[in-house]
Amino acid sequence: MSPATGTAFAQLSSIVGEASYFADPAALTRYSVDGRNPGAVVRPGSAEEVAEVVRFAASEKLALIACGGRSKLGVGMPPVRYDIAVDLSRLNRVVAYDPGDLTLGVEGGMLVSALLEALREKNQWLPLLVPWYDRATIGGILSTNSISPLRYMFGGPRDFLLGLEFVTGDGKLCKSGARVVKSVAGYDSHKLLLGALGSLGIITRANFRTFPLPRAQRGFVASYSDAAGALDFCRRIAQSSLKPALVEVLDPGAARIVANPKLPEGSWCVVAVAIGHEAVVERHARDLAQLAEQSGAAAFVALTDADKKELLGRVREFLRIVAEQYPDAAVLRTGVLPQNVTANCEKIARLAAQNGLGCANVVRAGATLYTVLLPGTEGTTERLEAAIRSAMSSTGGMPRAVLERCPTEIKSRVNSWGPVGPDMELMKRVKQVFDPHGILSPGRFVGGL
Amino acid sequence: MEKSIIRDLEKLLGRDAVLSARTDLMMYEYDGSVEQARPECVVFPRSTEDVVGIVKLASRTQTPIVARGAGTGLSGGALARRGGIMIAFPRMNRILEVDAENQRAVVQPGVVNLDLSRAAEPYSLYFAPDPSSQKACTIGGNVAENAGGPHTLAYGVTTNHVTGLEIVLPDSGEVVRIGDKAAETPGFDLTGLMVGSEGTLAIVTEITVKLTRKPEAVKTLLAIFDRVDDCTQTVVEITGRAITPAACEMMDGWTLRAVEAFAHAGFPLDSAAVLLIELEGLREAVEAQAVDVIDVCKLCHARDVRVAKDDRERDLLWKGRKNAFGAVGRLSPSYYVQDGVIPRTRLPETLRHIDAVCAKYGFPVGNIFHAGDGNLHPLIPFDVRDHEQFDRVVRAAHEIMEFCISVGGSITGEHGVGMEKNELMPLLFSESDLGLMRRVRDAFNPTGLLNPDKFFPSSKGCGEIRVRPLPISEPAAPTPVSGPPA
Repeated sequence: MSPATGTAFAQLSSIVGEASYFADPAALTRYSVDGRNPGAVVRPGSAEEVAEVVRFAASEKLALIACGGRSKLGVGMPPVRYDIAVDLSRLNRVVAYDPGDLTLGVEGGMLVSALLEALREKNQWLPLLVPWYDRATIGGILSTNSISPLRYMFGGPRDFLLGLEFVTGDGKLCKSGARVVKSVAGYDSHKLLLGALGSLGIITRANFRTFPLPRAQRGFVASYSDAAGALDFCRRIAQSSLKPALVEVLDPGAARIVANPKLPEGSWCVVAVAIGHEAVVERHARDLAQLAEQSGAAAFVALTDADKKELLGRVREFLRIVAEQYPDAAVLRTGVLPQNVTANCEKIARLAAQNGLGCANVVRAGATLYTVLLPGTEGTTERLEAAIRSAMSSTGGMPRAVLERCPTEIKSRVNSWGPVGPDMELMKRVKQVFDPHGILSPGRFVGGL
Repeated sequence: MEKSIIRDLEKLLGRDAVLSARTDLMMYEYDGSVEQARPECVVFPRSTEDVVGIVKLASRTQTPIVARGAGTGLSGGALARRGGIMIAFPRMNRILEVDAENQRAVVQPGVVNLDLSRAAEPYSLYFAPDPSSQKACTIGGNVAENAGGPHTLAYGVTTNHVTGLEIVLPDSGEVVRIGDKAAETPGFDLTGLMVGSEGTLAIVTEITVKLTRKPEAVKTLLAIFDRVDDCTQTVVEITGRAITPAACEMMDGWTLRAVEAFAHAGFPLDSAAVLLIELEGLREAVEAQAVDVIDVCKLCHARDVRVAKDDRERDLLWKGRKNAFGAVGRLSPSYYVQDGVIPRTRLPETLRHIDAVCAKYGFPVGNIFHAGDGNLHPLIPFDVRDHEQFDRVVRAAHEIMEFCISVGGSITGEHGVGMEKNELMPLLFSESDLGLMRRVRDAFNPTGLLNPDKFFPSSKGCGEIRVRPLPISEPAAPTPVSGPPA
C-alpha cells in the first residue's frame, strides 16, 4: 500500500461511516485471501453505498473483493491485487417477500440460515443445504455457485434464481431478470455472476422463487461393497419414475469423513431423501428398497427423523469438515455425467494410490463430483501436487475439473481452473464489459480474470 | 442489396439455397406477431460451415443478418427489420444424438420442438419446454426466445434445459463451443446468457439439451366457472396453498367459445372461464394433488370439475388450448397477443383492468394464458389493415403492459422483446441496466449487424410507442371485427 493509497482509504470511511470502516491489523487479517491482507475493510449499509465504494475504488484503481461469511474465500486463484474487502454483512434484510406468490427478494449479505428461518414461518423454504450453513450468505453461495445436494430435485440456484441486482466494476447499480416467476425481458446477465467469485459484480440483491415446505420426508441409506453397486442403484433411480429430493453417493473415504453411525465403515453409501405427500414418501420407501436389493445392496436402511437430520447435517457440511479437519487436503470439483462417474472415481483412486495419498469422493445429484485428496502418512506436498496436476490434465485427467481448495503453496503453482476452454476469449470480453478497470476480484477467476 | 452479394451467396450455398425474388421473400416478411419486415434474400445453410461462410460474407459487405427458425415467434424477433440476409434453418434439422443414459440430446437449430420429443420417446424421455407452436417451432427459435409453454410451470423454461451451445460470432464468423453436456463447466455461464438473447449476440448452430423422464401418471382436470373472478381466485388459492400442478391454464368465455367452434373439445359454451389443470408425476402424487385441486375449485365456486377420462379426452382439451390463437384467427383478420407477467396474487384485479382497458379502446378481448405462472396472453382481435385500429390496439397493449410493470411484473414472459416491445424496455429497466445490456451486445455483436434494431429502445428512455406506418403495402377495405359465436 502506497502512502497515497493510505490517504485514499480514509475517504472510504466517509462513504460507509466510521463505524463500518476498519484498517486495524487484526481486522485486516480476518479478511485475508490466500494469505494476502486488504488495506481496508468496509461494511456498506446499502446498495448505493456499495456502488459509491466501487466508484471510489475505480477512480483510485483499487482492487476489491466482496465477501459475506468468508467461508469460501479460498476458492479460485490467489488475487493479484487486493486493497479493499467489501463486507456485505450489513445488507442482511428480506426486502420483498410475497408468500402467496412464492417469490422473494433478499439482500446479498443475508445469512442463508436466517433466510430459511424467515421462510419457515410461512411454511416455505429454499432448497439450499449448503456447507458453512450458519455462516454462508446468499451473495456468497451465488458467487461460488455453492451446490446443495437437493439439486437432484430442484436444480442449482441458477434454476430458481429470478434476478439479481449488482454493482458492476464501474460502480453502476444494475439489475437483470425479474421479480416474477417468469420473464424473458432483457439478457439474463445475472446468470453470468453465478460462480464468478465476484469478478463481474457485487451482488446486492437476489430474487428467488420459493418452495412450500414438504408435508413429509424420509431419509434412506443403501450401502454397497463396491462402486458398481452404488452407481447401479443411482442409475436405476434415474431410470425409474421416482423423484427423490436428494441422491448423494459417498465412497468409503467420504463416508469416513462424514463419520455418521448410519454409514457402515468401508462401504460405498448412497444417501437418498424423499419429500412430498405422505403417500409419495411411502412409495419411495417401498420402491427404493426394491431398487437397492436389485442393485445388490448389502443393506438398505430407512432413517428415523432424528437420524436423518443428523446425517444430512454432516453430509451438508462435508466440505467444511474437510477444510477444518484436513487443512492440507485438496478438493476438486468436476461437473460430471452419470456415464463418466465410474471412470472418474477409478482414475482418482489410481492417482491417489500412485502418490501415497488417501482419497474421498462424493457424487452430488449425479452432476457434481467432489474429490478430496488427503496427504496420508507417506504423502508429501510434492506428491499431492503431482496428483492434482494429473487429475486436472486435459489428457488422461478429468476434463474441466476445478481445484476448489488446496494448501496455499500449491495454489500459487497450479492453475485452479485447469486448462482454459474454447470460450476464454468471450469470457475476456464479458469481463471487460462488467469490470472495465479490472478491480473486482482480480486474478481469481478462470484465465486470471 | 447488391446483386453481387446474392451471386456470392449462390456460389457459396448453391442456387437452390438462396431466395431473392420478391414473391419468395414475401413469405418471410411475417412471423406470429403483428410486425412485418422483408429480407432482401433468404438463405438455407446445411452446416455450421455454411453459416460461417454467410456470416463472413455479410460482415465483409456490412450486410445485416437475422436468423430464423419456423417464424412462429410473437415479437418480430426473426424478422429482417433492416432488410439484408435472413438465415433460415429448415435444412439444419438433424437430431445429432439422443444420449439416453445421460438424458441429453444434441440437435441442430432447425429441429422442430415436437420432433425431438418424438425421437426421445423410445427411451421414455422428452424435451420439456412445450410452446403452443411446438408442432412447428424449432429448438433454435426456442433457444433465442427462451421459450416457455404450459408445462414450464413445473419444469422451467428453455434456459433450464440447455447445457451447451455451438455459436457463430457475427463479427468474425468464429465458431465457439460454450457449455457442455455436463450441467456445470468452469467459467462464466455464457450458455445462460445466450439463451433468450433473441438472436442479437450470436448465431446458434448446435444445441445440447436436457431430456426429462416422462411422468408415470397424468391427470387433466377442467374446472368450469360462472364468474371470471372465481376462476382467478382459484389460481391465487392454488399458488397460495403451494399446490404445484404441471400446468394451470386459464381461458375465458370469449376465448373458449372461439376455440370450441374449431376444436370441438367439449368446452362449456355458457361458462365465464375455465381452468385447464394438469397434474403429473408419481401416481400417488397425482392422486393427492387432484384431491387438493378439486377442493380448492369447489371452495372457489367452480360450477363443475371434470376429469379427462382417457388420453383422447386429454388430447382434445389440449388441442383446444394449444390451437386457441389459430381459432381466434378464424374470427378476425388479425389479433394482437400480449405476454405480460404479474405476481399471481394480483391476477383478479389485473384481469379486471385488462377488461376495462380494452373496453376503453373499443375492443373485445380474449384471455387465454398460463395462469399458474401469472403469464397473461390477452388477445385483442383487430384489423391490421386499418391504420386507426392498429394505432389504437398498440395503445391498449401499452396500457396493459404498464399495469403489469406497476404491480411488479414483466412485459414478456416467453414471447420476447423483439421489435414489438423494445420501446417499452425503459419502463422495466434503468439507463444503467440497459447500458450494461448494450455493452454486452456490443461485446458479441460489435457492428450491430446481427438482428439490428431489436430488443433495445431506439431512443433514450422515453418509453413511447412509435406510431408505425401501415404494415401492409396494398391496403384492402377494412373488415369489421366480429365477436366469437355466442
